[in-house]
Amino acid sequence: MATDSQRAAAPAGEALDSVLQQNKIDVLYDQCAKAPQGTLFFQRDLSNMAVAENLNELIVLVQELVDMQLMKPMTFDGEPCWKLRTRQDAEKLRKLTSEERLLYHHIDQAQAEGIWTKALRLRTNMTPQAVNKCLKSLENKDLVQSVMSVKFPARKMYLLKHLRPSEDIAGGPWQSEGDFDMALIDTVSRIVEQLIQKETCVTVQPGYNNYDRSEAIAQKKAQRRAAQDIEDAPAVKPYHPPRHNKPRLVLSHDPKLPTAASLLEQIISLGIIRDKVIRESDMEQLLDMMVLEGRLEKIGATYRLALRPSDVEEGMNGFVDAPCGTCPVFDLCGDSGEISARTCVYFAEWLGTESEVV
Amino acid sequence: MSYAQRETPILAELCELLVEDIYGELAARVFSVLARHGRQTLSALNKASYLNSRQIKHGLVVLIQQHLIFHSASIEPHAASYEIDWQQAYGLVRYGRTLKSVEERFGDKAANVMSNLITLGHTRIQDLREAYFPPHTEESASGEEGANGALGDAKANGSLFVNGDTGMNGHANGTAPPKLNGVKRARPSDEEEVDGEYEDRVEDKTIKSVAELDSIIYHLMLQGWIVKVEWTQYLGPGDLHDITRQEAIESVNEGKLPHGTKEKEAVAYGILRRKREIRDEWLNVPQPTTRKRTSADSDLSRSNKRQRLAGPNNWAPRDDEVIVLDENLTIRANPEKMTVALRTDILVRLVRQLVGHVPATVYETMLRQIEANTPRCYDEWADPPPADTAAMANESVDARFLVTSREVAKNIDPSIDLLEGLDPHGIVLMTYSTSHVDKKGNIVPPIDPFNLSVDARARLIDKHITAIANHPFRFATWHSRAGFSQWRIDFPEIALSLIQHEIETTIAAGNERDKKYGVKLIRALKKKGKLDERQMGNVMMMPAAEIRSVVNGLTVRGFVQTQEIPKVERREAKHSFHLIWYDRQRAREKLLQDTYKGMVRALQRLKYEKETVAGLLAKAERTDVAGNEERWLSKGELEALKKWRGVQEKVLLQVSRMDEVVAVLRDFCGPLVSV
Repeated sequence: MATDSQRAAAPAGEALDSVLQQNKIDVLYDQCAKAPQGTLFFQRDLSNMAVAENLNELIVLVQELVDMQLMKPMTFDGEPCWKLRTRQDAEKLRKLTSEERLLYHHIDQAQAEGIWTKALRLRTNMTPQAVNKCLKSLENKDLVQSVMSVKFPARKMYLLKHLRPSEDIAGGPWQSEGDFDMALIDTVSRIVEQLIQKETCVTVQPGYNNYDRSEAIAQKKAQRRAAQDIEDAPAVKPYHPPRHNKPRLVLSHDPKLPTAASLLEQIISLGIIRDKVIRESDMEQLLDMMVLEGRLEKIGATYRLALRPSDVEEGMNGFVDAPCGTCPVFDLCGDSGEISARTCVYFAEWLGTESEVV
Repeated sequence: MSYAQRETPILAELCELLVEDIYGELAARVFSVLARHGRQTLSALNKASYLNSRQIKHGLVVLIQQHLIFHSASIEPHAASYEIDWQQAYGLVRYGRTLKSVEERFGDKAANVMSNLITLGHTRIQDLREAYFPPHTEESASGEEGANGALGDAKANGSLFVNGDTGMNGHANGTAPPKLNGVKRARPSDEEEVDGEYEDRVEDKTIKSVAELDSIIYHLMLQGWIVKVEWTQYLGPGDLHDITRQEAIESVNEGKLPHGTKEKEAVAYGILRRKREIRDEWLNVPQPTTRKRTSADSDLSRSNKRQRLAGPNNWAPRDDEVIVLDENLTIRANPEKMTVALRTDILVRLVRQLVGHVPATVYETMLRQIEANTPRCYDEWADPPPADTAAMANESVDARFLVTSREVAKNIDPSIDLLEGLDPHGIVLMTYSTSHVDKKGNIVPPIDPFNLSVDARARLIDKHITAIANHPFRFATWHSRAGFSQWRIDFPEIALSLIQHEIETTIAAGNERDKKYGVKLIRALKKKGKLDERQMGNVMMMPAAEIRSVVNGLTVRGFVQTQEIPKVERREAKHSFHLIWYDRQRAREKLLQDTYKGMVRALQRLKYEKETVAGLLAKAERTDVAGNEERWLSKGELEALKKWRGVQEKVLLQVSRMDEVVAVLRDFCGPLVSV
């Protein structure tokens, strides 16, 4: 009987035990959840919570939590440790098939760097079809995301949904979705130009120094008339109106040329770029690119606008201004034959004459 | 071998066209045989051409007179060989420009002398004197004609490049032989304008006496525009090398052939030094004799201006003395000096385009000052730079190549408004003016820009020079604080920038894509070296796909090269690096040859255009028609004549602008060994 009752009691005791254990699991989980998100728990932390009575029990509890996907086992400096997952995440993970879980594990390990599908296949020894199927289902469950790599444009990288792709695969602030964000670059570079202009240039109006020279000229003319010899007289230049009748931009007298750091500060304070962190090196990249484009000039570590005089027409060189410089058949042109200087249509057009008809 | 002495097929074609144009068909035929066959003896020349030996000799005389060929008669008198001096041959295209440069710098009379010297080739002083002031006996006049046979050729052909008056003294000097009195038809428009302006000063252009002629020649010799003729000038680069090598071995190595690196190096240095000595000797100006001014000379009134122009190292004769040059001295124009002047012009134009008008004028003043002491753009026979750069840095710069702001302030054209292009606030500060700048940015009361103290002008000029110096091309480099601020001009570095600029301009002239991204790509490659596609994208901040099309375009045009380096043993596209790179020297060569070709095509086209109006031109050049075109030609003919002149002007102007490209690419620095 006793054995019977014992037998009856045993399942009840086990049930009680399991309830107790479940309670303890919840308590342990709640205790851990009080810590800030993402905290790593080492064994001593968990035993300090005094939920389990001894080490063995603690191990059982933690194993149970891990099995329920509520905890993620990790190692830190060779020491085992654990990280907490939310109950919703754990719920999702529990519903995964074993293959999906395996993939998830590998993707998780790659963290922000992401992992390439081919690498996943190699590590899991699964067929490409199976991998693709599982990845699709993981994506549908909002657990992972795919990103195009900047380094290897043909590669699709997977990483956990909540992670922000690292710079290695997503590029710096100037890139989005694997390619350079031309609109953003364009806007920011234009703002940079405006900032530098505001800081280092002044606009000079045409009549900024409206000196009346007529009197001086009249005086000189009189001198010239009085002079006996032309050689001795001061040269009289006819008065010509100022070359500039438009306001023009000139470098201010003692300009404080901005550096990448000072420009970055201003860009950030303008608040035009959201959700992105621009570092000084990113700013330098942009500024150096603008130097290549000929919009800025770099002097030491500072930048200034490449001011071009507006009144001079930008002449090309002698070679390209002639028809030959831009001729599409330049390499085919010979001393005689169908394409030659005599039969050239471009010369004819340029000179307004007729060419020889072949 | 000299960088410009390399001969390429297209350069040969260009030079043949030039020679034919200026010295006629005979000279051109001989020239072309030499161009095709290289260095030849007279008998080999005979065999290689259909001309008889008399014709060949005539042709050679013209070419030698103009220094278009080297010959070795002085070292192997029995079987002298002849070879083309490509640099001088190409230099024919610069004749018009030479005259313009001389006129700008030294005035009309100097230009007149230069023009005759160029037309005649090398000339004895005595011959030149006789050409200007012919003795009135029949015999000597005909004798002179014989001596200057080359001139006859030039005249007969109607040269296109020697523009301006070829008449010895223009119309004013009635005593000149009639054949020298023709005024050339062909002249680019700018010349024409100049002519119009000076029409009323024809009298001024006339050289009135032998003494004045001598003094002009002497002055041009001091400035390095005219050099004396030496037999070593006729030696080809190979012969010169052999001679100098022999001398170097004698002097450095006691006549033994060098063995081992040390001896070889010593001899190599000896050769270079000897070459420099020989060349520098050409520039030495023989001390002229002087005589007392006589009453006959009293009217020549050399202006004070000319004496001032002569510069500090010039020995200006006292007022009562007259320079008399040795009548047997043989002189010629110095093409190297022309290149220096051309460099000045190109730099000034570029600064005008890139920095502004006033800085360009300031720069011009600086460059002109240095020009007098600069015999050539770069020394092809310079010793190789020492291995340690520290020693170079300590080397002091020759004071003759330094310019101070104060000097510029004194020499610059006083009618330039130095205030232009500066910040009004700065102007007030720099002029120590009592004026101030109001809210609108105007200076009240205004400052008279032409009535400033020398100090204020120096400060303003220093500001302009700073602007030039801060340009990425580093047009000037700060040297010291002497004379307010002292500057030097680092020509070798600027020459590199100029080459790069010329290549970039050419690329930008392509299609829209090249204009926008091609230049950027070239600059990126120049800065970073070889790059693959991804790095390229990072530097240019552009999607790789867009870059690819730019790279393709530039590769086809020959400015950019691509390279494939396999990562694994198999050569597979997937497992290879694909690099893009840019070699400045290669691009420079490519552009240079293309420019030669462009010049050839332009001249060929001009020839064709001339053929189409040949009949009309023959009529217009008849002695009774010339000068009276309106009277003898119909309206249509006049129209056609005007159009032809327009065409000619346009093509020639373009050729001379292409010559500027050639100068930038070829003449301002030697080959770039490493990029």
